[in-house]
Amino acid sequence: MRVIVVGAGEVGVNLARVLGADGHEVTIIENSPGRCGTLEGELDALVVEGNGASPRVLREIGLGRIDLLAAVTQIDEVNLIAAMGAKQLNPAMTTVARVRDPDFALEEEDEDDESSRGPFGIDFVIDPDDATAHDIAEAVLLPGAVSVEYFGDGRLGLAEVIVSEESPLAGQPLSDRDRTEPSYIVGWTRAGNPKLAKGEDVLLAGDHLIVAAAREHLALTVARFAGKAREVKRCIVFGGGRIGTRLAQILESTPVRVTVLEREAEQARRVAERLGATLVLHEEGVSRDALLQSGVGEADAFIASAGDDRANLLAALNAKRLGADLCLSVVSREEFVPLVDALDIDAAFSPRLITAEAILRFVHTRALRAMHFLRSGFEALELEVEDGASIVGQEIGRTRGVLRGCRVGAVLRDGEVLIPEVGTELRAGDRVLMLGVDGTLAGVEPAFAAPS
Amino acid sequence: MNQILAPRVGPGAALIAMVVGGTLAAAGLGMIAVALLALTGDGEEIGVFAGVGALVLIVGLLGIGLSSGRERDAAAVRPYLGFAAVTLAWLSAAIVGAVPLLLIGTFGNPIDAFFESMSGFTTTGATLLENFDQPDAVFWWRSVMQYLGGIGIVVLVVAIAPVSGTGIQRAFYAEVSGVTADRLTPRIIDTAKILAGIYGVLTAFAFIAYEVTGMSPFEALNHTMTTVATGGFSTNPESIAGFDSVGVELVALFVMILAGVNFAFYWRAIKGRDLMPQLAEVRAYLMILSGAIVAVTISLLIAGDVEGLATTVREAAFSVTTVMTGTGYVTGDFDGWNDFARVLIVMMMFTGACAGSTCGGIKVIRISLLFKAARQEIERQLQPSAVQVLRMGGRPFSEQVRRAVLGFFLLYVLVYALGSLAMAGTGVDPITAISGSATTLNIVGPGLGEIGATDSFTGIPEGGRLVGSALMLIGRLEIFTVVALLAPLFRSRKAMS
Repeated sequence: MRVIVVGAGEVGVNLARVLGADGHEVTIIENSPGRCGTLEGELDALVVEGNGASPRVLREIGLGRIDLLAAVTQIDEVNLIAAMGAKQLNPAMTTVARVRDPDFALEEEDEDDESSRGPFGIDFVIDPDDATAHDIAEAVLLPGAVSVEYFGDGRLGLAEVIVSEESPLAGQPLSDRDRTEPSYIVGWTRAGNPKLAKGEDVLLAGDHLIVAAAREHLALTVARFAGKAREVKRCIVFGGGRIGTRLAQILESTPVRVTVLEREAEQARRVAERLGATLVLHEEGVSRDALLQSGVGEADAFIASAGDDRANLLAALNAKRLGADLCLSVVSREEFVPLVDALDIDAAFSPRLITAEAILRFVHTRALRAMHFLRSGFEALELEVEDGASIVGQEIGRTRGVLRGCRVGAVLRDGEVLIPEVGTELRAGDRVLMLGVDGTLAGVEPAFAAPS
Repeated sequence: MNQILAPRVGPGAALIAMVVGGTLAAAGLGMIAVALLALTGDGEEIGVFAGVGALVLIVGLLGIGLSSGRERDAAAVRPYLGFAAVTLAWLSAAIVGAVPLLLIGTFGNPIDAFFESMSGFTTTGATLLENFDQPDAVFWWRSVMQYLGGIGIVVLVVAIAPVSGTGIQRAFYAEVSGVTADRLTPRIIDTAKILAGIYGVLTAFAFIAYEVTGMSPFEALNHTMTTVATGGFSTNPESIAGFDSVGVELVALFVMILAGVNFAFYWRAIKGRDLMPQLAEVRAYLMILSGAIVAVTISLLIAGDVEGLATTVREAAFSVTTVMTGTGYVTGDFDGWNDFARVLIVMMMFTGACAGSTCGGIKVIRISLLFKAARQEIERQLQPSAVQVLRMGGRPFSEQVRRAVLGFFLLYVLVYALGSLAMAGTGVDPITAISGSATTLNIVGPGLGEIGATDSFTGIPEGGRLVGSALMLIGRLEIFTVVALLAPLFRSRKAMS
């Protein structure tokens, strides 16, 4: 597949990196000459200096052979024009645009018309703030988890869980764990390094656990492994920007009671107008007093979603000290993300990584094989076991030689979720969720394919 | 247009000439219509109405002619001139409306004729008429005055007369009631036409319904005009009670309730537009109305004021509706009820019906917002940094609206207090003074005491009648329009001190 990425920011570079590693031909267009220079060495991609919204630049690259264009600069209008222009030059191409302003994201009225799903005929429009708010909301609504992904038409969930000190997993080998609910522990991350799980691994508080379970067992599984997770009833959102407002809007449709703190009087007013039952407080600072006044001590969750990373980290740390249970923070700049692991904050949400992930997920359905979890470092691949494939009849647990460096997370057989145990045999027709780290999934496919 | 060709008449004077001229023309046409209507009955007074009407129409057309063809610069028309134009228009309508009543001899005293005319145009329905042995033309005229005043004379003028030009919206908004300007269409003229159209549909419906109940065409048309305008004048000395007909009462009740709904709501409903916040107001209106009916009914049953459950419900429902919509028809003598019911009746006068209807009072939307603002004040004591948004039906209102509503209420109470004081100063008892200024300020009609449901305003001395006339005008134009005219007085006072 030939891909053009417009904008070499964090989103663009992550896209280019994953797509390039997957064997696609990537061209990246970047406006800033300085940035172009540093990119050449970093990426296995063709770097073109120029304006991605310019038809001249696009024509010079030659859009006729391009399959996908992802416009992910910081500027909505540039992304929209680039995507619309590309579509006009080559209607067969798939286009993706990153658009923050919700005013642009008007739903097309004619939903049957497959050719134009998003606004202006763009195939996929991703709003980073909206996506981030949804991810945070999922983490708030599934206590103990920081992110959840569903597979197999939603029957199978893959969750990232924070292991707390009260967790029964902490300090014990994984093989001794409670197995009341069928679940499969895929792997874990410590200080941002992903590892596939082994029975003898011992987790510590603060580690993140990747666990697969059928949808109906997911909430209990997550709660059990997380240890102290309890249902979020009161939630404080620090910062009434786009992410904070959207998050409060999503949570308003749930039983969670939300309080939004906003520092700017006018913005606080706008947020209050947009929200219904949410209590909006206008507090000037991140001071201890202001947080205490908002009732942070009794809050089950504290989400720092202001525009300033430093203020977010500070507020989340403060909230943790003052007794908020679950403290999450939005962190925009990549370099701050590792800090979160070092600090006493439960999880960080990077809108840029979430955006890149969402675009990869969209592309995944069309061209990419594996789904990439940029935040935890894991990859997932849904495969069907074909008739006569070499893996048929093999027992899980004895497949190490064939499936080196990856795991069978779960099997969907006859519409049922089957959590693999040692001894489970794979049959033709099974749908298998394979999980791996760092490209280990690249070589598994032939084992599932029918012999040609 | 350059300076040399600029009209000698300034933009403000042109606006006043146009609005007052248009109003006079409408009143003149009304009188001519009365002359035509009276042709069907005994027609001795036709000449008076035809003559005065023609004269007033000509003066009015001259006013319009004076102003038309001039380039009106919207920016030059300050809000003050809009208020002045509308107040002057209503005052001049009341003055010319009194003339035929004086000439025919219905009233000997100019003040009485002026009061009756003001009560007519403002759709109050308070009357000084004791002797109902009058020519048909007098009844027609009372009804036509209310019909013209119901929708608003300026609205009518804008809808019908060729008064395009940018200054007119100042006058339009000075007359239309409500917390926010409900402009239904980009052009003010189209908005006025829509309002007039809805008024027309209500009129047709009411006339057919009254006809069906067996009223004579004379009675049916008169009552149609005074019901859709929520005016309250009747051709019967005992008002609606004189018909002693459940059918008539039901029609009056239904049409009054319909006329109490925001006209913009009907328009939005027909067009399939977003109904908020008008729907929320209509809902609150119907809830307050039914709640008050239940409360009055229970109090009447406990006190045993009215005989029979059916009669009690019938009288309670009609009386509450008639005062809440500011109509002023009478079926039961609520002045003879228990004190709880009497006080509640006066309170319903203040509540009024929906903004943008033909009714008076504070209006349900403001009452709702006042309650919400009060609750938010209490909440703010508990959570001082909370950001509070005033909402109606989910739609947020700006802080200016909060200020405007609180300011309106403040002025309303102030005007009411001063009016009651002035009324009492003219030598009436406290109950009459307090209820009399309430019923005129809220443009209802009947009050308590000397001016009870079955009495006329003749129990109030001349001075009180003038106070009442002033309160009717202030109430019809929703306080600000008239009171703002006094603003320069306060300003100069401040400069001197």
